Amino acid sequence: MARLFERRLTPADSPLAVAGTTALALIVAMVLTSFLFISYGANPLEAYFALFHEPFATMRGFGYALVRASPLALIALGTIVSWRSGLAYLGFEGCFVLGAAAAAWLALLTEPGATFGPLPPALFLTLAIVVSFIAGGVWAGIVGVVRARLGGSEVLISLMANYVAIFVLQYLVSGPLRAPGSQPETRQLPRATWLPFILPGTRAHAGILLAIAAAVLVWVLLKKMPLGYELIVTGFNQLAARYAGINVARRLVLAAFFAGGLGALAGTVEVLGSQHRLMDGISGGVGFVGIIVALLARLNPVAVIPTAVLYGGMSVGADAMQRRASIPSSITFILESLAVLLVLISDVLRYYRVNPSALWSRGAEAAAEEAPRGTVGGASE
Amino acid sequence: MNVAHILSSAFLVTWLAASIRLAGPVLLAALGETFSERGGVLNLGIEGTILLGALASFLVSLFTGLTWLALLVAMMVGIVASVFLAWMYVTVKASQVVTGLVFNVLALGIASAVYRRVLGDAALPESIAMFHPIHIPHLSDLPFVGPALFGQTILLYVTLALAVVANFVLFRTHFGLALRASGENPAAADSAGISVDRIRYVGVLISGATAGMAGAYIVLAQVGLFREAVTSGEGFIALAIVIFGRWNPLKAAGAALVFGACDALQLSLQVFGTRIPSQLLLALPYVVTILAISGLFGSKAVQPASLMSPYIKE
Repeated sequence: MARLFERRLTPADSPLAVAGTTALALIVAMVLTSFLFISYGANPLEAYFALFHEPFATMRGFGYALVRASPLALIALGTIVSWRSGLAYLGFEGCFVLGAAAAAWLALLTEPGATFGPLPPALFLTLAIVVSFIAGGVWAGIVGVVRARLGGSEVLISLMANYVAIFVLQYLVSGPLRAPGSQPETRQLPRATWLPFILPGTRAHAGILLAIAAAVLVWVLLKKMPLGYELIVTGFNQLAARYAGINVARRLVLAAFFAGGLGALAGTVEVLGSQHRLMDGISGGVGFVGIIVALLARLNPVAVIPTAVLYGGMSVGADAMQRRASIPSSITFILESLAVLLVLISDVLRYYRVNPSALWSRGAEAAAEEAPRGTVGGASE
Repeated sequence: MNVAHILSSAFLVTWLAASIRLAGPVLLAALGETFSERGGVLNLGIEGTILLGALASFLVSLFTGLTWLALLVAMMVGIVASVFLAWMYVTVKASQVVTGLVFNVLALGIASAVYRRVLGDAALPESIAMFHPIHIPHLSDLPFVGPALFGQTILLYVTLALAVVANFVLFRTHFGLALRASGENPAAADSAGISVDRIRYVGVLISGATAGMAGAYIVLAQVGLFREAVTSGEGFIALAIVIFGRWNPLKAAGAALVFGACDALQLSLQVFGTRIPSQLLLALPYVVTILAISGLFGSKAVQPASLMSPYIKE
C-alpha cells in the first residue's frame, strides 16, 4: 500500500529537489511577511513592489544596492571558504572592523605631510588591499591555528574575538586616530584614497568590482584548483582527508586566513568606498548578515553576487518604504531570517517522497471500505 | 587618579556595587544557557531572546505598571521563542550555529516591528514601573560589602538563589545527570533509557526562560526604557560567562562578577579621566575567555563533548 508521503533513506539531492524546496521556502517566507504588511495596513503586493522598485528600477537606488551588496558579498565569500572547509568561523564582524581600520589608517598616512604623503591611487589601493587582507587573514588565522592545533571551538573563539576587535576599533577612533570634535571618528579620508565611483549619478563604487573578482577567484579556488578540492574534502570528512594525505591542520589555517582576508576586504571597501572615514559602530552587524547571504546562496560562490545585490537592494527598498509608508525597514530582517530558517526547515522535505498514485489507490481503498459500511448503515435504517 | 585614589574605600564600595549590578542580568542568562549547553545544544539565540524579553517586559510594565507581571510575561516570551529554537535544534536537527544566529536577526526585526506597531510615535512617559533597590536593614550598613551585597534589587537575590538551585539541579538530581549525559554521550544516554530529544528540549526551554527574564532584568531594574541597543551583546557576553565559568553555575557567578568588575572599572576610569584606555579593560574578560577555551590550558575536557552536534538515533 503506497503512502502519499513516504520517508526516504537519504535526502533527495537532485538540483531540482534543492531548487524546488528552496523556492517553496522563499515563497512561504514572503507569504508570512505579507501578513506583517497587512498589519500595517499596506497591500502586500504594493509593498513588495515598493521593496523592489526603488533598488531595481531607479538608477540611484541601484547604486545604493551595489554599495550595500559589496561588503556583504565579500563576507559571504569568506563564509563560503571557511564553512566549506569545515571551519564554522563567525568572526567576520571583527575582520570587517580590522580591515576598515587598516585601510583608514593607511589612507590617513597618505595625507599631505603624513608619513607617506600622497601616493598614486593605484599604488595606494593595492597596498590597502594587501595590508587589510593580511590583517584580517592573520586575525582569523589565529583562530584557525587554535582550532587545528589545540582543538578549541572556533565558533566560540571567533565570536569572542569579535568583541576584542570592536574594542580595538573603539580605542583607535577615540584615541590615536580621533579627529577633533565630539564624535569618536577619524577625519574624512583624503579624496585620492576613495574608491572610484563607477556609475555616473550614483554612489556605486568600485567595491562591487572587487567583490565580483573575489567571487571568481573563490570559484576558481574551490572548483578548479587542487588546493580547493583539498579544502572541500577537509570540510566533508577530516578523517578521510587525513587518510588521503591532506595536511588537515594546515588546510584549516589556510581556510581561516582566506576567510579573514575576505572579511577584512569588506571593511576596506566600506570605509574607502562608502563611509570615507572610520567611526565607532561602522560594522553594524554586517558580519552576521554576510553569513546569512552566504547561506541563502547555499554556500555557492556563483550565487553570492546576485544574492548580495538582491539583499542590498531589499534593504535600500525597505528604507524607502519606511520613509514613504512608515513601514519599519526592519521588516527586511524578518523576511531575510525567515527565508533562511524556512530553507533549513525545507531540507526536511527532501527526506520525503511524494506518491501521487497514493491519492488514487487511497481513494479506491476508501471507496472499498466505504461501500460495505454504507450497506450496513442502509440495512440498519 | 593615583593608586591611593583607586584604593580609597568610597571608590571600592561603589565599584563593587556597580560590578554586582552589572553582573546580574548576564549571570541570569548564563545560568539557563549552562543547562542548554550541558544538554549538548549551543543556544546562540539567547541574544535575540533577551531582546524579545526586554521588549515584552517594557510593554507590560508600561501598560499595567505591574513589574512582576512584566517579568513573568518576559519569561513566557522567552519560553515560547525557545520552543521554536528547540524544535529547530532538536527535531529539525538544523545547524545550531546557523539557527541561533539567524534567529537573532529575526528577533531584532520582530522587536523593532512590534515596538513601532504598538507605540508608533506615541509620546512615552518619563519612566515605567521598575524594581527598586531594597536596603536590607542592618546588613546594608555593613562596611564595604553592605551596600554592594545588600542594597540591590530583588532580581539580584533571585538570580543568586537560582545559581545555587541550578548547581544543585545540575549535579545532584536525576534530571541533571540525564542532561549532562545527553550532552556528553547522547548515544549512551539513549541506551540508558533517557529520551535525549526530550531532555534537550527542556535544556533549551530553560535557557529561553532565563534569557527572557534577563531582558526584563535589564529593562525593569537598570534602564527603564526599551532600545535595541540596550540588550545588544548581552547574550554573547552570557555565552562567554558560561565558558569562562566552565559550564558550572557557581563558577559562572564568579565569571559574571569578573565581567561586571571590568565593565564597572572602565566606567569609573572614564569618569576620573585616566589615561588607561577603557577599551583595554573591556576587552580583558574576552581575551581571558578566549584563552580559557583555546585548549591551551586543557579546558577542552570540560566542554560538553557533544556540544553543537544534533543527535540522530541509529
